[in-house]
Amino acid sequence: MSDDSLRPEDFAEAAGAAITDAEGKSFAEKTAVLAENGLFGVIVAEEQGGLGLDLSFGIPIVAVAGKLQLRYPLVEQMLVASALAGEDIGAAIVGGEKTAAIAWQGSLEEGYATHATFVADADYVLVASGEGAALLDRASGEVQEDPSLDPDYPQYTLKLEGAATVATLSAEAFAKLKFKAKVLYGAFAAGAGEGAMDRAASHMAGRVQFGRPLSAKQAVRHTMARMKLLTETSYAGLQRAIAQDEFGAARDVDTAFAGAIGNSCFIIEKAIHLHGGMGFTWELPLHYSLRDVRKIDAAFNTGGVVKSIGKAFIAAA
Amino acid sequence: MTYNIEVAHPDPATSRSAYRAHAREWLRANLPSSMRADSVDYKTPSLNECRDWEEAMYRAGLAGMTWPKEYGGYGLTLREHLAVNKEIGALMMPESVGSVGKELAGPIIMAVGTEEQKQEFLPKILAMKNYWCQGFSEPEAGSDLVRLRTRAVEENGNWRINGQKIWTSGAMKADYCLLLTRTGTVADKHKGLLMFAVPMNTHGIRVVPIKSIDGKESFAEVFFDDVVVPDSARLGKPDEGWSAAIRVLSIERATNRMYRPWRFEAELKMLVAAFKSDPELAKLLEDGYYQRRIGQIATEIDGLKGLIEQAVDQMAGGAPIGARGSLNKLFWSETHQAFATFAYEMVSQIKPTASAEALRAKKHFTTAYLFARAESIYAGVSEVQLDIIAQRILNLPKDL
Repeated sequence: MSDDSLRPEDFAEAAGAAITDAEGKSFAEKTAVLAENGLFGVIVAEEQGGLGLDLSFGIPIVAVAGKLQLRYPLVEQMLVASALAGEDIGAAIVGGEKTAAIAWQGSLEEGYATHATFVADADYVLVASGEGAALLDRASGEVQEDPSLDPDYPQYTLKLEGAATVATLSAEAFAKLKFKAKVLYGAFAAGAGEGAMDRAASHMAGRVQFGRPLSAKQAVRHTMARMKLLTETSYAGLQRAIAQDEFGAARDVDTAFAGAIGNSCFIIEKAIHLHGGMGFTWELPLHYSLRDVRKIDAAFNTGGVVKSIGKAFIAAA
Repeated sequence: MTYNIEVAHPDPATSRSAYRAHAREWLRANLPSSMRADSVDYKTPSLNECRDWEEAMYRAGLAGMTWPKEYGGYGLTLREHLAVNKEIGALMMPESVGSVGKELAGPIIMAVGTEEQKQEFLPKILAMKNYWCQGFSEPEAGSDLVRLRTRAVEENGNWRINGQKIWTSGAMKADYCLLLTRTGTVADKHKGLLMFAVPMNTHGIRVVPIKSIDGKESFAEVFFDDVVVPDSARLGKPDEGWSAAIRVLSIERATNRMYRPWRFEAELKMLVAAFKSDPELAKLLEDGYYQRRIGQIATEIDGLKGLIEQAVDQMAGGAPIGARGSLNKLFWSETHQAFATFAYEMVSQIKPTASAEALRAKKHFTTAYLFARAESIYAGVSEVQLDIIAQRILNLPKDL
């Protein structure tokens, strides 16, 4: 699509409606709703069955998914569809006939892969292989659940001995996928944080203590203001990361990704805190967002990313 | 010091990079190493040296980009202003000594001044012929200007001013004061506030320097005892000048010294390079703790770049900046304070036998640490910024 009048926020609104529609449905039903609304092919070229939009559209769409607590591998579907665009498997993912998960640590050569979610329902799992990656038939490997962080949507470890490869990605294609992954997961985390902030703001405005709403308390107002500041910083950083500078040079995504994950953890943790005892309950759904963002944090080892940013800065100075 | 000011200014329409490339080339070719804080040749520049440098920058097309041509500006957009600021930030050059004129007095005069005032003041601000100071804060009116007491009384076509200002940066060198007064009493709150452009050599003005935490005397108390100025010194009508100032301040908070994240990045490079220049200190940089802290600071600097570029995009698209300037002010001041504290932690380990670069860094960052204490105070303390965000962006109710 090349219509300049299209605005990312309009797509985000439509995506939000689709995600709301998918809420409460089974994995297969969610897949059908999201595919029908074109969400898996947002960053896939039109001639390859997608919407032909760039990552600036992907950011608000995925952010809405984070905000609405979509518990589905939307980012993974978008990434694998984009990486395998033009191939039958890519088309099947865009159309929702097939689904893919991604294991972010381990490799085919090591014989195992970890930090994957939604594996139990997926048809394929993407794992690192050499400098590139291999898309495996999920049924051909042995899968183990790790429910310690999230019993509802656990992380998985895969034993890859004898796993069947159905497609491969070159080193260049895998590097591109990882760049997009950091942008989109960063946006998902920023959206999750924004959703938590909105819930906290609503609760603070309605919860009366000592005759006034909690939002009247300066300590609460200032904490909320910091949450807003970090939310805006995350979005601004991600949009900047995908834009070229004045000289046409691409930018690195690591600082924007690490910033978004760190900011989101802070915001969600504060939102839980501001809800008091209610924040510690299972009933209040903030913990879903915290689990989701911490899974991304673990998958990419954000602390290690920050350290590598520092090392790179030192080397370049 | 002579600078090459006979230089063609590029047409930004030719390419997106034209103006930034011009700024990069000119600044790198002309900034003397003695004025670069990261140079071992560095010597604190005198006021005249700073003035000459800023005037040369203006002549080279690197100041007054967004001001109208009829008032000495270049009639360009915020995008060129940002492009130039990125390059200003990338070099460790002296802070502007004309910033109150360029970023505060000038835009306010442009908003409410008479044509005569615009012609008189604006070109001289850009050409560094006049220095300005800002006379807003008072002993009992810091962030809360409702308590402002300095009084202006109309008298036979003139105005008689009595009162006291404090924390007035650059008052000792200023030619003019952008003075905020009230025509009524404190009970009038925001009503009756009136602004003036007051020549600092007017009889009855007394400047008493204040020694600050970094040992410098960069701000002062300014006393106005029966100071009489003509009506032509008035900037707008009562209320008008102040309401314009509020508008200007909200834009200024978002756009002033846009170079900050690029300057913070240059400072971080200076810190790291200084440690790399000394074999013993270089070992510290292999420590994961320092690597991670440097990575965190670099992450925050990039976040700040994003906020600033987003603000420019929004304003260039015609969107009002509103209260969003408070996001930028809060983020840059706290980011830099944290960085300055970390930098001090590092340079405090530098021994007298260290490399010249390391010793230079020790001096720079010790002062920077002390000066950074002011950053969460001036231009609206952090708590005020947090209140603005809570009130005007999040719309959090204060009552039922």
